[in-house]
Amino acid sequence: MNLSSILLTIINKLDGERTIYAGFHLLRGKRSGQTLQDVEYYGLKPFFGLLPKLRIVTFDEAANRLIELGYIATSDDSLVTVTEKGRLELSILPSYRFYGWDYRGREMIFYGRLTLTVQTMSNIRAGKKSFMPIQKDMNIQTFVKKLLYELPIKNPLFSRQVGEELTIGIIRSEMSDLQKVIFTHRLAGYGLSGWTWDQLAESLKLNPFTIRLMFIESLHMLLTVIESSTDLQLLQKMAADIKVSSYLTESSTKTKRLFDQGMSIEEIATARQLKVSTIEDHFVEMSINNTDFPLQMFVSEEETIAVIAKMNELGTKRLRLLKDEFKSLTYFQLRLILGARTGEGA
Amino acid sequence: MDIHTVLKNKFGFDQFRPGQEQVIQDVLEGKDTIAILPTGTGKSLCYQLPGYVLNGSVLVISPLVALMEDQVANMKRYGEKRVIALNSFLNYTEKKQITANLERYKFIFISPEMLLRKSVKNSIERLNLSLIVVDEAHCISQWGFDFRPDYLHIGEFFAYEGRPPVLALTATADKKVIRDIGHYLNLEEPTLHQYPLDRPNISYTIMDLDSETTKTRWIQQRLLETKGPGIIYVASRRRADDLSSLLQEKGLSIAAYHAGKEQEDRAFIQEQFISGEINWICATNAFGMGIHKIDIRQIIHEHIPQSIAGYIQEVGRAGRDGLQSAATLLYSHEDEGRTRFIIQGDIPTEKEIRHYTSLLQKNIPSDEAAEMAKITATGKRIIDYYLERMYLEEVVRRMEKLVQDKEFQLQTILRLIYSTTCIREMILTFFGESSIIKPESCCSVCGTVDDRWLQGPQVTNLAKRPLNWTERLIELLG
Repeated sequence: MNLSSILLTIINKLDGERTIYAGFHLLRGKRSGQTLQDVEYYGLKPFFGLLPKLRIVTFDEAANRLIELGYIATSDDSLVTVTEKGRLELSILPSYRFYGWDYRGREMIFYGRLTLTVQTMSNIRAGKKSFMPIQKDMNIQTFVKKLLYELPIKNPLFSRQVGEELTIGIIRSEMSDLQKVIFTHRLAGYGLSGWTWDQLAESLKLNPFTIRLMFIESLHMLLTVIESSTDLQLLQKMAADIKVSSYLTESSTKTKRLFDQGMSIEEIATARQLKVSTIEDHFVEMSINNTDFPLQMFVSEEETIAVIAKMNELGTKRLRLLKDEFKSLTYFQLRLILGARTGEGA
Repeated sequence: MDIHTVLKNKFGFDQFRPGQEQVIQDVLEGKDTIAILPTGTGKSLCYQLPGYVLNGSVLVISPLVALMEDQVANMKRYGEKRVIALNSFLNYTEKKQITANLERYKFIFISPEMLLRKSVKNSIERLNLSLIVVDEAHCISQWGFDFRPDYLHIGEFFAYEGRPPVLALTATADKKVIRDIGHYLNLEEPTLHQYPLDRPNISYTIMDLDSETTKTRWIQQRLLETKGPGIIYVASRRRADDLSSLLQEKGLSIAAYHAGKEQEDRAFIQEQFISGEINWICATNAFGMGIHKIDIRQIIHEHIPQSIAGYIQEVGRAGRDGLQSAATLLYSHEDEGRTRFIIQGDIPTEKEIRHYTSLLQKNIPSDEAAEMAKITATGKRIIDYYLERMYLEEVVRRMEKLVQDKEFQLQTILRLIYSTTCIREMILTFFGESSIIKPESCCSVCGTVDDRWLQGPQVTNLAKRPLNWTERLIELLG
């Protein structure tokens, strides 16, 4: 696993209709209308917000590698496609088990809570009441303090119980053996320091970035099983509020509230002192995320069916091409149709 | 209560370290005080102890959020629960909660920018403060190597009737900086306590090597033949990574440390260095603040530091156990230009400032504008401060002045490097100390450095092997 292969998978899904930087915004989890739209139209939810701090140089390196290997090609208008050679490579890549759309980097908060809990239990077990916390973030410290406050941490058997619960979670998550090693060595405790990415890379003979990606994937896998495992009580508490609860941006949520109160787009724009186009972006987001979005208020069912049929016929989701076919419809209407009727929500 | 009793009961010490008692006495008498105490000599006791003797809270203004968190964590560790850090790490609700209940805390650490927020300022003014402490007070002076424009504001906060005494603390300050501290903090006839900077157990060696390759070879040889633990200070993040992995390949126990590493990685490395699991750290100047390790034997600089004060701060991390330690500075002729380039890179040029302000006028968010104008985060902080207070032309002149100041500091350290008089003497004279007793192992100019004691088996990097994952969990949790 490495950034290039993930990028290749993404480019393949984008289907020659976007520039390579759509992949960058996707991985960083950019919450703009365009990126959110892409996520839905092209089925890219697993990769959304996977690397919120991804640097453009790192991304460019990965992209250039793909070009050098001849896996991708860019057209004159900068659109990027997967070549025959790239398709061959794709067929031998393992499948990924990321759930970026649900976690968006917040899995690291869960990891922070977990490391601090393990470090605390490990020190208490060794009879140490004071130690330098591995997490400096106040929110994480407060969370763990509150969590441990109501638990029998002084009971000598309790830390083992934590260990057992974690063991069950790890097994159930079906992470690979390598991921299990990485995961447990990113935990630290009394007399046992954590391993840096470089140290793991050195001893496992892997690229540090690859290890990081494997770690993120293992967290996503673990979080997913925790969610449905009522017997893993402590882990469930640690995972509280990690999964994104509202897929709408904060601003879109406000717009939705006003819309639900019966206000029109123009009225909302005036009330919120925002441009009409911004409010329209919010509506597109709503059409993507809310299964009960009232599409018929904006466009007729007949027109909707016609657009979807044309989209399948042309094999494209590019708005400009669809607009040429449906001159009477606005871009806004087309985006709403695509939002409500394509992707997983359809 | 007698301060010796408090020292014993609260801190478990029988005796004060040099300087502490006199500073504490002045503070308790309500005098404004400037105390210059070398790193590692227990500066924080100078306000913690008075905190327990006096009624009311102690406000500690601290420039670095990381340092602040570290101090708070340390105090909590030793059982003081009434301590809080107010800084930009807190979210809105936390901030509100804490500021509403400030009187509950005995020790309140705060960053300068928080102090100047109106809501925070109001709740602090309602408090019964017994003492205000300005930590790392040299940051207030443009002459200091760590100038923080935010610090210039603090004085504004102090200008009220009946304020408690102020204690300004720093590890290193020359005469100019001392004057600036008194002036900008609006101190009233402050008493000055200055304790000998000299660390007789540290020997100084300065060496001229002709290129980076030679330096690398020298360091490699040195690490293979002599003892650690030690720190190698380098000029850039990239160099820290490169040099560290090169030395690792030679079987040495070393890790790189710089601000570009993730928080957890930094914590792991720090922990491993303190516990002795790794013997060497190859770092930028981001490493060191808040590290409590007393047995560091060597500090190696692989570049020309930006100022003498900064250099002394870094060197001072060696030999806190009082045992023999060695400081070595390697330089080559190309270093002068490189250090100048790094220093000036942080100070915005006239062209950059004009570009930046024109972008701001177009309503472009300031962070973006700074990036577009190629202004660093430090540079932005500095000009934002000045742009709020003066005309563009003046700001430009200020920056030119700053470049000159920094250049002056560079020239001073260059004089040290090319010096033909005793290095120890040069350093102490720079900080205004006159009486100098040369230890037996003094410096490379005196020609008396005897580091035979350093020879010895070095710790090699025992190839770290990961455990089986279940074993690892059992070791952690039983």
